[in-house]
Amino acid sequence: MHNVLRGWVLHNPLLHKELRQRMRSGRTVLGLSMYLLIIGAVAFVFMYLNVQGQTLLLQPARTAELFTFLSYLQLALISFVTPGVAAGVISGERERQTLSVLLTTPLLPASVIFTKWVTSISFLSLLMIMTLPLYSIVFLFGGVAPSQVLAVFILQLITLGAIAGASIFWSTFIQRTGWSTVLSYATVGGIFLGAGVAGYLFDSLSTHMPDQGLWSMLSGICYTINPIYMQAALESSRGFFTPTFHNSLVESVFQTVKTHNLTSSGSWMFFMSVYVGGCLVLLGLCSWHLRPGTFAAAVRRFGRWLVR
Amino acid sequence: MIRTENLCKRYSRVEAVSDLNLDVRAGTVFGFVGENGAGKTTTMSILATLTQPTSGRAYVGGAEVTADAAAVRRQIGYMPDVFGVYDDLTVAEYLEFYGTAYGVTTPVIEARRAELLDMVRLTDKADAYVNTLSRGMQQRLGVARCLMHDPQVLILDEPASGLDPRSRIDMREIVKGLRERGKTVLISSHILPELADMCDEIGIIAHGKLVACAAVEVVAARANGQRQLAFDLLSGGQALAHAFRHERGVTDVLTCNETSVEILYSGSEEDQVALVRGVTLAGYPLKAVREVGASLEDLFLRLTEEPVLPSGA
Repeated sequence: MHNVLRGWVLHNPLLHKELRQRMRSGRTVLGLSMYLLIIGAVAFVFMYLNVQGQTLLLQPARTAELFTFLSYLQLALISFVTPGVAAGVISGERERQTLSVLLTTPLLPASVIFTKWVTSISFLSLLMIMTLPLYSIVFLFGGVAPSQVLAVFILQLITLGAIAGASIFWSTFIQRTGWSTVLSYATVGGIFLGAGVAGYLFDSLSTHMPDQGLWSMLSGICYTINPIYMQAALESSRGFFTPTFHNSLVESVFQTVKTHNLTSSGSWMFFMSVYVGGCLVLLGLCSWHLRPGTFAAAVRRFGRWLVR
Repeated sequence: MIRTENLCKRYSRVEAVSDLNLDVRAGTVFGFVGENGAGKTTTMSILATLTQPTSGRAYVGGAEVTADAAAVRRQIGYMPDVFGVYDDLTVAEYLEFYGTAYGVTTPVIEARRAELLDMVRLTDKADAYVNTLSRGMQQRLGVARCLMHDPQVLILDEPASGLDPRSRIDMREIVKGLRERGKTVLISSHILPELADMCDEIGIIAHGKLVACAAVEVVAARANGQRQLAFDLLSGGQALAHAFRHERGVTDVLTCNETSVEILYSGSEEDQVALVRGVTLAGYPLKAVREVGASLEDLFLRLTEEPVLPSGA
């Protein structure tokens, strides 16, 4: 374990190079500034419209709304930014003609893929961490516990990790960055919109079709793999607060969470399995595809080891 | 040091490499010549462990490229025909990255980096960003990058392509320097006279098959089946050229003036001795007779235009 940590993280030359390159670039500074500016401006406008001169009034429900709004805005932004960051990591190397040289070094394909994934999510995590001071506003008025903020952050981290994994998958299997970016955004659309719409359709079918159990289960699956609903589940769990949005869409999301009992541990287990397991499978496929002979060689080595 | 046995690579209906048998001795510079699509890059890519052969075997330093690819990678420095560089990295950081990727220790990296930058004349560019270098400088940096882990074998796929004359000369000198360091170099190029200048041996590949492979001079002579002879005289060159036109074994008179005649001769070595004796006996004031190497470019064109000869020639 120590060797793996040392080889893949502490003494990983590709990781050092990638972080050095990414963090040194002026584009990174600009991107971070723009992200913070957008989310800060939107949060300020939201607060201004909600508070409207009543700054001295203690309004925990409003704070909860602000937290929900901020966390969904963050989820939307990272879902939008992640494919842009991760969809070109391998295809970009291919297009820049640097991949072939990289693959003639002793670096393992799995290490290359893992490093690309880590550097992508490290940048995106930095975006999220930078918004923490904004979240601290919600603590001023109470209504949201730090543990809840942490839970939402972890959920978003898992979501962006999976989206980054899917984007790297497309980047590895598709030759062109343009196409891999399109497919990555299609994947995000599938997760957020597709799963939501499919869940709604299955819900409708369950009320009209004879085999209600099956349709209800399918809609539950669709909602469970949708981070929008799982974040709502997180925010409505433990009874911390109940948002008071007067918006039918938001209300329907929180109502669906209750109807399908998405706060249950089973739902969380399923969500984690799909996202973490799916991400690992996709990254594994990428490692295999990057240097096709590696898998066969590993099997041969394993066979020789067994014989010995 | 590099060996292939009946190496084949097929892409659907196209056979990029066909029954290729190659043997490159340690410490030699081997030139790989062929037209576009002849199979040079595919062969090099297989040797660099980037492409899996359809059949046959390839060895680098005794390690088989598919079964023991990791061992092959440690022994080679590979420079593809077209390669990019990383933005936002300095020349020193670029070399450091590849050094650490090969597991070279930091003190060795620092010493070797200084030595290699000096070799490729980029010492003053150590702190410059790689993407700001000219194409020629990037190519030279590519060679330095290949040497960061001190490999025994260098696979250079058209390292001089697209370079200006000055940079091509620089690259030629670098390759000659590699030979002096005892490295085995497999180099491909379209610039044939340059290959003749820096290579010990050449292999000519056409339609995926090796059509000629030997020392530069031997390949030229064997493929031509005739020798280019130059006669240096005090005078009477024009008359001698006229006499040669009727001589058996003289294929063509290439150049002639009063003091020099160059001919293409296809006779045996005994006939050649008789020819020279005949010139002397005829009273021509002969100063010297030289055997001139045949043009590699002519040879290449002839071999790649004709139907493919049996491999291993």
